[in-house]
Amino acid sequence: GSVGEELALLEKALGLQSGYKYGAQGERQIPVLQTNNGPGLTGLITIASYLVKQAKKEQLLGSSAEEKAVVHQWLEYRVTQVGRQSSREDTRTVLKDLNAHLEDKVYLAGNSFTLADILMYYGLHHVMVDLTVQEKEIYLNVSRWFNHIQHYPGVRQHLTNVVFIKNRLYTNAH
Amino acid sequence: MRLRVLPGSPAALKVVAAARSAAAAVQLCWARPGEPPPSPLCAPWAPALQLESGAVLFSANAICQFFFLQRGEEPNELSTQWLEWEATELQPAALQALYARLVLGRTEAAAALGEALGHVERSLAGSGTAFLAGDKPSVADVVVWATLFPLLRDEAVPAAEPLQNWFRNMTLSEACRSAADTVLLPQHLQEFTACLQKLPRPLLDAASGCK
Repeated sequence: GSVGEELALLEKALGLQSGYKYGAQGERQIPVLQTNNGPGLTGLITIASYLVKQAKKEQLLGSSAEEKAVVHQWLEYRVTQVGRQSSREDTRTVLKDLNAHLEDKVYLAGNSFTLADILMYYGLHHVMVDLTVQEKEIYLNVSRWFNHIQHYPGVRQHLTNVVFIKNRLYTNAH
Repeated sequence: MRLRVLPGSPAALKVVAAARSAAAAVQLCWARPGEPPPSPLCAPWAPALQLESGAVLFSANAICQFFFLQRGEEPNELSTQWLEWEATELQPAALQALYARLVLGRTEAAAALGEALGHVERSLAGSGTAFLAGDKPSVADVVVWATLFPLLRDEAVPAAEPLQNWFRNMTLSEACRSAADTVLLPQHLQEFTACLQKLPRPLLDAASGCK
């Protein structure tokens, strides 16, 4: 589950012709992308935003100033709070935060599907796979959002489909 | 727009400096110590921006970026990269150094930040530009400067010219200077120290900077 893998998934989701090679830097294995011009790009947010622009899908970075800031905020949350080495306690905090935020929203940035949803989905996949039926109910809004994103065209790819019990998921949702 | 900040916090300095740099029309509200934040997602010392739409921005860097976006300044690859570096690398190091300075009374801030300062210095020297993302100041400069300023202002920083010039240019700019005068008053720093003191040490060791 390296970040390089996550970026390869993103490339496919964006419909880009694969061919980017990623390095990793330092203890935290920060991704680095060597570009043709300049010293290369460092960091998940930076490289992911670059790929979105390469794919000419700028709307995934948000449309209005407000939406762009909200997308940035959730991308930052993704790289600072969600990680492979997170403790159970940290993971619970993340699920609680997201559950509260998604209470009245379809996507992280509100009504538009953005890069924040894609990268949060990849970052949380290993967590959601391990949740019990009860936990999926406790974090009902996260479950509803996650299920929505995994069925979004092109996003899931070879990742395991996480099963949610539908009638429970949708009874309290609206 | 209401901008809620905790007196004395470096994140407060950052958002106030960004608001002034971008001439954003915000109403500044000081949070009282212990007052619950407007969103459960806000860290105790994190600022929050309440927008007209009802949305709350809880990330200081996103708030800064919003002010510049509103003025039509779109982020580019470099400014995005600096914001990400500041959130993931600089903030945790700076928080540790600030804790050591304000709570434990140690003064090795510049040493603790050595690696980060080296990165800024090499980038400025490598690009040959006066500012982090080009020839004029951007959101990246405000964000990185504001995290460094409370730690470096009283120290003679052993640094090469590009870094010193950049730091001095930022510190002397009208927006940054007036933000520092507003946020970093001695009584504000006491309040912020009290906020830091309440944090358990292990939390700080694991701190990723945002929470």
